[in-house]
Amino acid sequence: MTSNTDTDKAILMAAFAKMDAVALAIALGSIWAFLLLVATAALILKGAPEGHVVGQHLGLIGIYLPGYEVSWSGALIGAGYTWLIGAALGFVLALLWNLTHYLYVTAIVVRSAWWRMMAD
Amino acid sequence: MSGQTTLSPDPGQGVQLNRKLLDAAIRVNTWLLAGVFACVGGFAIFFATYLSLYRGLPNPGNYLNLLGVFMPGYVVSHAGAWIGMFWGAIIGALLAVLFYRIYARSIESQVRDYLASGSRDEDLLGITLYFDGNYLGLALGAIVALGLFVTTSWLVLRGTAGESMNALLLTNYLPGYSVSYTGGLLGAVEVFGITYLVCRLFSWIYNRVAALRSGG
Repeated sequence: MTSNTDTDKAILMAAFAKMDAVALAIALGSIWAFLLLVATAALILKGAPEGHVVGQHLGLIGIYLPGYEVSWSGALIGAGYTWLIGAALGFVLALLWNLTHYLYVTAIVVRSAWWRMMAD
Repeated sequence: MSGQTTLSPDPGQGVQLNRKLLDAAIRVNTWLLAGVFACVGGFAIFFATYLSLYRGLPNPGNYLNLLGVFMPGYVVSHAGAWIGMFWGAIIGALLAVLFYRIYARSIESQVRDYLASGSRDEDLLGITLYFDGNYLGLALGAIVALGLFVTTSWLVLRGTAGESMNALLLTNYLPGYSVSYTGGLLGAVEVFGITYLVCRLFSWIYNRVAALRSGG
């Protein structure tokens, strides 16, 4: 039998569940690397008209990621970079998410303690 | 009890949830996520602007300046970095609100799953978050699709559709896309599908790693 306390607690658990920072880093890094690989591969396979450079615009990513270019080896280099950037972003996002929840819960506990103290 | 309602009749889960508590929890999470995304969005544009300024290239912000089309007042400059930070924060927060209002629909099913599992963990803040790939895909897919349609429509409305060569590059990945209302709509449908699939993959990776790390 599920009591009201159990259901209320389950709601709070679902809402305040903490993100696994390492898992988010790995997942986001992998997705970003995969997307750049696919984006680069699509342009290479599609090719360019006679006299044009393949992936002229996507290649501009090389400004920020030295070594990246629209080629198979460039795609692997870019994937390495984007894995690291995505992982760092995922880690920071998870930390921020968890931190805001801890701060919020702490604020509620402190406020509740304050009002209890004032009532006494 | 006031504020409680019966949820959808899933087999064996005719559980009554405190609707007021559920709505309050979703509201809190929406605001917290908006805060996080406002910080990330604002600082991302701020740092990208300064990176562009100090990268030592002949034309700093050659492409980044195009953001000014959607963020009035933004240019790659010291002042522009702050204006971009403001717009980045606003857009980040709005997207977060829109995202979470859709994704939060998964919380009810997560609560029901937890209650059905019969486990009663005592540590309220010790629970690990798992993504619902379906709702994540729907939420993020809707935002990306809406974003593409709105930005395309904006280019058409301001009368620069014909000059939008950079936007047209999307046709490399979204066949049939063009800088027009119908092209924007078609592109939105395609990008929704792609985002949905990517989100399913992302959730699968995250949930697998998180489960492995928690010994599940």
